[in-house]
Amino acid sequence: MTFAVARSPVVERSPVLMQVGALTKRYRDQTALAGVSFEVHAGEVLGLIGPNGSGKTTLLEAVAGVLPADAGDILWRDAPLPVGRRRDVIFYLPDGLRPWDDQFVSRVLAFFAAVYGRSEEELGDTVRAVGLSPVLGKRVLALSKGYGRRLMLALALLTPHPLLLLDEPFDGFDLRQTREVMTLLRRVATNGRTLVLAIHQLADAERVCDRFILLAGGAVRGIGTLAELRAAAKLGTVGLEEVFLALT
Amino acid sequence: MRSPEAAAVHRAALGPLLVKELWGVVAGRALWTMLLILCPIVGYSFVQAVSLYGEASAAAADAPVLASGLSPLDGVLVPTFGAFYVTVTLLFPFVAIRALGREKESGTLRLLVQLPYRVPTLVAAKLAAVAAAWFIAIVPALSALALWAGFGGHLHAAETLNLLLGHLLYGLLIAAIALFAAAIAESSATAAIITLAVTIGSWILDFALAGQPGLFEWISRVSLTQALRPFEQGLFSVGLVIATLAAIAGFAALAAVWLHPGVALRDKLVRSLLVVAAAGAVVLSATQVRTAIDVAEDRRNSFPPADERALKELREPLVITVHLAPEDPRYADLRRNVLAKLERAMANVTVRLASSGQSMVGSTSDPSYGEVEYVYGGRSDRSRSTSHREILPLLYGLAGVPPPAPDPGGDYPGYPLVAKVQAALPWFLGVLPILIILAWWWSCRPPRIRLRHLEEGGKA
Repeated sequence: MTFAVARSPVVERSPVLMQVGALTKRYRDQTALAGVSFEVHAGEVLGLIGPNGSGKTTLLEAVAGVLPADAGDILWRDAPLPVGRRRDVIFYLPDGLRPWDDQFVSRVLAFFAAVYGRSEEELGDTVRAVGLSPVLGKRVLALSKGYGRRLMLALALLTPHPLLLLDEPFDGFDLRQTREVMTLLRRVATNGRTLVLAIHQLADAERVCDRFILLAGGAVRGIGTLAELRAAAKLGTVGLEEVFLALT
Repeated sequence: MRSPEAAAVHRAALGPLLVKELWGVVAGRALWTMLLILCPIVGYSFVQAVSLYGEASAAAADAPVLASGLSPLDGVLVPTFGAFYVTVTLLFPFVAIRALGREKESGTLRLLVQLPYRVPTLVAAKLAAVAAAWFIAIVPALSALALWAGFGGHLHAAETLNLLLGHLLYGLLIAAIALFAAAIAESSATAAIITLAVTIGSWILDFALAGQPGLFEWISRVSLTQALRPFEQGLFSVGLVIATLAAIAGFAALAAVWLHPGVALRDKLVRSLLVVAAAGAVVLSATQVRTAIDVAEDRRNSFPPADERALKELREPLVITVHLAPEDPRYADLRRNVLAKLERAMANVTVRLASSGQSMVGSTSDPSYGEVEYVYGGRSDRSRSTSHREILPLLYGLAGVPPPAPDPGGDYPGYPLVAKVQAALPWFLGVLPILIILAWWWSCRPPRIRLRHLEEGGKA
């Protein structure tokens, strides 16, 4: 089974990891996702771009299998990936979550590390990478928004899944922190993991993503690299914002 | 279908999940608050029970016959654990709901269901953690038993353990219902309302419908508190244990069905129907299991041993027709003193009410009202007695066998005790609450050893 979606020449060399075909989700008479189709290539950072309410979170949750879709298929390396097996290869990090907020940060991290068989050294590396050391002895509910984000990021990095779906990973960070996290995510992708980032800040997306899916009203309005999207929008050397406005 | 990924996530060990669930239960205020409330309630009940038991014991000091009626199970254990039962009914749901409701409300459930555990495993781990909380919560009641033994009070191991088993099953049933409520409700508050509606609704069933004829009588048997009564009477009923375990498993399975947010509503409904059908079939089958062991030291649930042996030899069917309304107190006496014991002692006993819709008001003009007809081996006889001392000779007469000679000795001696129980109050009102607060404080400390490893980046 294949889906007719645009493919970037830049990432065409890397194999297709996952194909999403005609994913549809309705809430009563409102269509949240209208037959969304796209491909994810191994090792890329794919940006899911759209305004609030465009269906980004719904799409990520439906792909991850934590929200039932009304229709659509997902292939993993050309083989069907049923809902029950998605957690084997996909890890979805929700937005605005304070997991187990009455527990200490160190205990939550140790739990994830133990579940996924991470060594103490790997756990320590992750803690240092996201800069969580100062708050390890705090309870999760006492964390600032930024540290809460770092904790969530650390949990995602402790998982071994080849594909990470991160919902608004830069929300809550200041400029400097955002750049640090971008660098970290690029390093994660370089090390072989694939990232799909739902981002509503187009400037952030432009800096970190290889390719983009433009989503509006639950439908895909464009897929490709920035250059491909510019060409599709018949625009010159403009930023992602102008391209997005032109295509949606 | 080929494997989606060579490096797929494998199933994880249960240990981290259990530890996480235990910390989740301990971290909340619900458990500790319940413990602190249990201390004075259980303590007061214990002191009152021992005081009353002491007064009865003082009266029986010169009368051995009165002393034989003094059983610590009735006089001390059941009242003390009765206070525990009330608290478990009203407060334990909050402990159990917290195990799931907080994750659901905060959205953490979306992380939880992505972990490499099957959903039933997640629910089982939560039930195990709540069971551990029950074992912590029973500490005040157990300390009362220790005090009773310290005062020189008698404890019969089998009936005490049987009572504890009954309360454990009741606690687990409440926990399973609470987990199911948390799984279907959008908030913990709603889950609490659902659970309390079931538990307190059981009390209403008990008080309002017990003894009523027909459908009401059947409905009253559904009451959760009915599940505890045989254990309080020193009866280990195999059927009841199986039925309660099936109900616990059923509610836990329903919680697992409704837990995953990624399953469509229609699928959840279909799976729920299957679970209800399976659990219901087991519960109905269990009601047919008559095997029960009388573990009470005074053998209150059995005829004298010689009669039990003689009745076991009566192989033919015994049909008993009762001309009494179910709400008639005489029927309750007959059932407790004769019918229930006969059903356990003989292999083939059928009991039927002459008219299941019969009421006391409409039956007073019926001359046969109050009679009980016994048919055995083609012969029949009638009696209005509710005492085994009259019924058993009647049965032996129908069977044509002589009444057995009673076994010498072996009578229950009774265990009178006058204790200065006021000395227990400082324990329940002072020492134990302080110990609980210290344990609470200890549970709130950050995990320092693990912290050192993390801060040093794994080089510790």
